Amino acid sequence: MWIKLATFAFAAAIVAAGADIHGTIIIDRKLSRHNVTATVGMYQRGVAVELGADGETDPLAFERSHVAVYLEGGPKSPATEFPRVSIEQRDRRFVPDLVVIPAGATIAFPNFDPIFHNVFSLSKAKSFDLGNYREGQSRLVTFPTPGLVAVYCHLHSNMAASIVVSPSRWAERVDRDGIFSLKDIPAGTYTVVAWHKTAGTFRKTVIIGEKDTAVSFTLPYAEPSDEHIAHR
Amino acid sequence: MRFATRTFLSSCIPFAVLLAISFWAIRASVMNTVRDGLRASVRDNQVALANERARNEGRNRKLLAGIGENPSLKAGLQLLAAEGSANEQAHNTVQDQLSEICDSLNFDFIMVSGQRGAPLAAVVRYAGGFAPVNLSRLRPPEQGFFSVDGRLYEVTSVPINEADAQVATLTVGGIFDISQLGVPAVLMHKGAVIATQTRDLAPAQIEHALAGCSSAADCELRIQDQRYLSLPLGRPAGAGDDGYALRSLQNVDAASAPLQTVLRKLFLVAGFIALAAMLGITALSSRTIARPLVDVVKHLRLSAATGELPEFPENPGGAQEIRDLTQGFNNAAKAVRESRERLTRAYVQFVGSLAQALDARDAYTAGHSRRVSEYSCAIAKAMSLSEDDLEIIRVGGLLHDLGKIGISDLVLQKPGRLTPEETELIQQHPVIGKRILENVQGLEAYLGIVELHHENLDGTGYPHGLKGEDTPLHARIVKVADAYDAMTSDRPYRRGKSHADAIAVLRSAAGSEMDPLVVEAFALLGDQRKQLAALAGSQSLRSLSEAVGETTATLEVVEREQEAS
Repeated sequence: MWIKLATFAFAAAIVAAGADIHGTIIIDRKLSRHNVTATVGMYQRGVAVELGADGETDPLAFERSHVAVYLEGGPKSPATEFPRVSIEQRDRRFVPDLVVIPAGATIAFPNFDPIFHNVFSLSKAKSFDLGNYREGQSRLVTFPTPGLVAVYCHLHSNMAASIVVSPSRWAERVDRDGIFSLKDIPAGTYTVVAWHKTAGTFRKTVIIGEKDTAVSFTLPYAEPSDEHIAHR
Repeated sequence: MRFATRTFLSSCIPFAVLLAISFWAIRASVMNTVRDGLRASVRDNQVALANERARNEGRNRKLLAGIGENPSLKAGLQLLAAEGSANEQAHNTVQDQLSEICDSLNFDFIMVSGQRGAPLAAVVRYAGGFAPVNLSRLRPPEQGFFSVDGRLYEVTSVPINEADAQVATLTVGGIFDISQLGVPAVLMHKGAVIATQTRDLAPAQIEHALAGCSSAADCELRIQDQRYLSLPLGRPAGAGDDGYALRSLQNVDAASAPLQTVLRKLFLVAGFIALAAMLGITALSSRTIARPLVDVVKHLRLSAATGELPEFPENPGGAQEIRDLTQGFNNAAKAVRESRERLTRAYVQFVGSLAQALDARDAYTAGHSRRVSEYSCAIAKAMSLSEDDLEIIRVGGLLHDLGKIGISDLVLQKPGRLTPEETELIQQHPVIGKRILENVQGLEAYLGIVELHHENLDGTGYPHGLKGEDTPLHARIVKVADAYDAMTSDRPYRRGKSHADAIAVLRSAAGSEMDPLVVEAFALLGDQRKQLAALAGSQSLRSLSEAVGETTATLEVVEREQEAS
C-alpha cells in the first residue's frame, strides 16, 4: 500500500509540483482497548492478551499507526489513479483494520477464513451489506463519498474495521513512528485532518507556499474540531 | 454375709443402679437433643443450599436469556438455515461462534438445537481448547444432567427467539463436579450412583439405602450404623424425569460426633465421681449402722469362748434397738442362770435322796455309799485324773449300789450265809441300778460305775465278766473303794478289818480281781478312815455338795433332811 501511495504522490508531483507537509503524531497514552489474540487453530482459542501486556507490541506505536491523515481543500484525484486496496478477513479479524483511501476508490473484501463472514456497514458515507460468503470468495465496494465508514461482520460481532475516505488525494495512514508526509502540495490554504478511532478528528490549517511545512498533532489533547464526526 | 456388708450392698446396689440408669437416661436424652438439633441444622443447611441452587438456576436462566439474544448467533443460525446444515463451512461458522460464547462465558458445553430439538451444532471444552461433538447421539435434556464421552455435564437451556417465535434452543452447561456443591452429595442415575462425595461408602451401600427414598422427599437412612440425612438438591419444578437425581447425603452422626465425644467424656467423669462418692458415703453409713451391733456380737463371741453368759453394760450406746437387744440378752442370761441353779439344786437333791434311800434300808451299811464316793475321789485325785473324771467318780460312787433298792430286804439283810440263789439275786443289783438310772436324763455318765463296779480284772466278775481294761477305770476305782469299805465296816456277824489287813487283802487280790495300779494308789494314801472320821457326817456331805456345785443354802436343807432321817 505504501508503494502505491508513493506512486500516487509521485504522479501528483508531476501534475503540480509543490511543497511537502512533514508531520508528526504524538500519542503519549494508550487509547484503545484493543486485545491481541494469539493466532491459533480454529477451535484453539488462546487466552486473550491485552495489548502491550506481552511486551512485544508497543501500544503507543499501535495507536500511532492507527491514525489517518488527509488534506481538505485540495483537488480530487483522477479516477485512473485510484490504488487497489483490500481488507481481508483472517482469523476472525479484518486485516488491515484501518484503510485510508481517496473518494471514489474501491476496496476488495476477500475471505481467507474457513468459515463464513458477512461484511456490512451502516455508515452515512457508504452503507452496504455483502451477505454471507465463504472462504476464497471476495466482494468489491466503491466509496464515492468522503467520510468515515465503519465496517463490521454480522456473524462476528468483535470484527471491526475503519475506512477513511478522503476528499483529496493527499491521504495517508501514519506509520508506527508517528511520521507522515504529504508531498507535492500546490500552494494554497489547506486543512490537515488527523483522525483516530477513539480520540476523534483533529484539524489544523496550513498555508502551503514554496517551502515544506511541518505539522504536529498531539493526541488526544488537541481540541477536537466542530466537524468531529462521530462514527456510527 | 456380715451385717456391714449387707447394709452396704443393700443400700449401694439400688443406689448405683438408680444412678447408672439416671445418668444413662440423661446422657441419652442430651445426646438425642444434640443429634436432633444438629440434624435440624443440617437439614436447614441443605434446604438453604437447595433453595440457593434453585435461585441460581433462575438467575442463570435470566443471564442465559441474554445469550439467546446474541445477534451474531442468530445470524449464524440464519446462515445455517440458508446454506443447509450439510454445509461444512456454515456448520463451522456456527461451531466457531459457539466456541466463542463458550470461551467468553466459561462454559464447558454448548449446543444449539433446532425447533424440533434436533442438535445443530455442539462444542465441548477439552484441555486448552474446544472440540465439536458428534451430533448423532447427542440428546441432552433441556435441564439437568447428561454425559458426553464419559464426562458429566449439568446443563440448562434458553430459547432463541425471532419475532416472538422460538427458532432454536441454546443449551449450555458446565462439567458437574460434585465436590463443588459445598455439601456431601450423591448423584444417582436410575438408582445407580454416578458420582459421590462420600468416599468411605461403597456405591452399592448408598444405592441400597437410597432405594427406599422418594426422589422428591427428605429421607433419613442408616448406612453402616450411621444415620444419614438425604435431601433432593436443586431439582427444578417441572423438569422432566431423566433418571438423574442429585441428593445430599450428610452423615448426621459424624456431624454430631465431636460434641457427642465431649458429652460422653463429661458424663463418664461425672458418673464416676458420683459413683465413687456414693460408694464412700454408703460404706461410711453402713459402718456407722453396723458398729454397735458388731460390738454386741464381739461381746457374745467372747462369752461363747469363755462359757460365761453375756452381761452387757446397762447402756452400751447406739440405737434404741441395740439397747433393747442387749437388755433382752441380759434378761435371758439372768433367767438361764437362775434356772440352771434350780436344776443343779434339784439334781443334787435327787442324787442325795437316792443315796439316802439306799443307806436307810440297812443300818449296817449306813454311810457306805458316801464313804465309797469319798475313797474313790481320793484315789482319783491320787491318780491325777481330770476334774470331769473326779465329778463322775464322786457321783458314781454315791450311786453305785442303787440297784440294791430292787432286791428284797430278806436277801439283803440276811445275817447268815447266802444260798447260791440269793447270791444270784444280789448279783443282779448292778443291772437293776443301771436300769433305774438309764432313763434319767443327765446321769448317763455314771451308768458305767453302777453297772460294772463288780467286774474283775480276770473276767470272773459280774454281771458281764469283762476283762482287764474293758472295764472302765472309773468302775475299777469304785470297785477297790467298795471292797475296802466292805472289809473295814462292822457287820452284825463280824467286826471290820483293820486298815492294814484290808490293804493286804486288796493287794492279794490285785491283778486277779483288783486293778493293781488303783490298789497301790489307794495304799499310798494311808488310812482313809481317820481322815473320814474327822470329816464325819455333814462334813463329808459338804464336800459332796461342793463336788456337785450346790450352794450352802441347799446344803443345809439336805443336812436337815438327813438328820431327820
